Amino acid sequence: MPQMPKRVKFRKSQRGKVRGKASRGNFVAFGEYGLQTLDGGWLTAEAIEAGRVTASHSMRGEGRLYIRVFPHKSVTSIPLETRMGKGKGEPEFWAAVLRPGMILFEIAGIPEGAARDVLARVAYKMPFKCRFVGRRPNV
Amino acid sequence: MAQTFILPSEDRPKVGTNASKQVRKKGLTPAVMYGHGEGSSSIAVNLLDLTKAVRQGVRVFDITLNGATQKTLLRALQWDAFGAEIVHADFYRVRADEKITLEVRVELRGVAPGIAAGGTLVQPIHSLSVECLVVAIPESIRVSVAELQLNQAIHVKDLQLPEGVKVKNDPDAIVVQISQKASEEEAPTGGLAAEQAEPEVIARAKGDEEEEAEKK
Repeated sequence: MPQMPKRVKFRKSQRGKVRGKASRGNFVAFGEYGLQTLDGGWLTAEAIEAGRVTASHSMRGEGRLYIRVFPHKSVTSIPLETRMGKGKGEPEFWAAVLRPGMILFEIAGIPEGAARDVLARVAYKMPFKCRFVGRRPNV
Repeated sequence: MAQTFILPSEDRPKVGTNASKQVRKKGLTPAVMYGHGEGSSSIAVNLLDLTKAVRQGVRVFDITLNGATQKTLLRALQWDAFGAEIVHADFYRVRADEKITLEVRVELRGVAPGIAAGGTLVQPIHSLSVECLVVAIPESIRVSVAELQLNQAIHVKDLQLPEGVKVKNDPDAIVVQISQKASEEEAPTGGLAAEQAEPEVIARAKGDEEEEAEKK
């Protein structure tokens, strides 16, 4: 089931803009391999869930999956054929705000070839261009 | 034992964002060398050579600058937003007989029988903080998982370390373990299920609202 926050301070948020590239959450931190987005924008909770289901199906219970993004932002919409005014619409879906370079999913405990296959399937479900990445060298 | 890499460098008289961008356009990486009582020197090194060495796991570099060679330890790296290119490097001057503390990656060896018994290999620690001589920096800490059964773990205190290497991590920390497989359709933790239509809105305390009204 798609995720959303348990408690929020405000039900509705302004749209905002995605500026710049990711300076946090842009490297593989928990697993061994990851899926990195090359574009910025909103990733809906449904898309995150689709990625999770795809990954867990293709991993067949092997290894471990980490989801690095969470849909914190509520997106509202107004019904069709509504006249102008009457205030902001109702929350329609939840989304994660992504900057280019952010890691979406991470995988551990399976070989690189298998991880590439899994994350390629997940990337197919994503609305952005994505690429497979490994851990950065230790320093 | 980690290998040493000879890295030619040149002086970088101009510092700052724009000057560094100009350096990068030439195929060089801005870097800084400091430590051991001497002042810090801004240098530039070849990006391809540095990247190649870093990917090979080299930690100790012999940096040649104006005809003199200095032994340095690669202490920090800055990457671009995509983790594709090194944008800056820190080199720390060291002596060969000096003891230093640095992060060394953990390398798993073998196939754990616990995986065949229905377990999943989980590795919470990917690198260890170790203290050793500069000449004896291990390339990696090798951990054999060939005898690891289901629900068993290898702790930091169980590791077999190369001679002269001391680990600084918590001795009871788990390096690798074989845990039970999670059920396939297990929902991720955190957040709210979709059945519950909307999240709870954190209500403001009455006192706060009154205070705000007074301010206005």
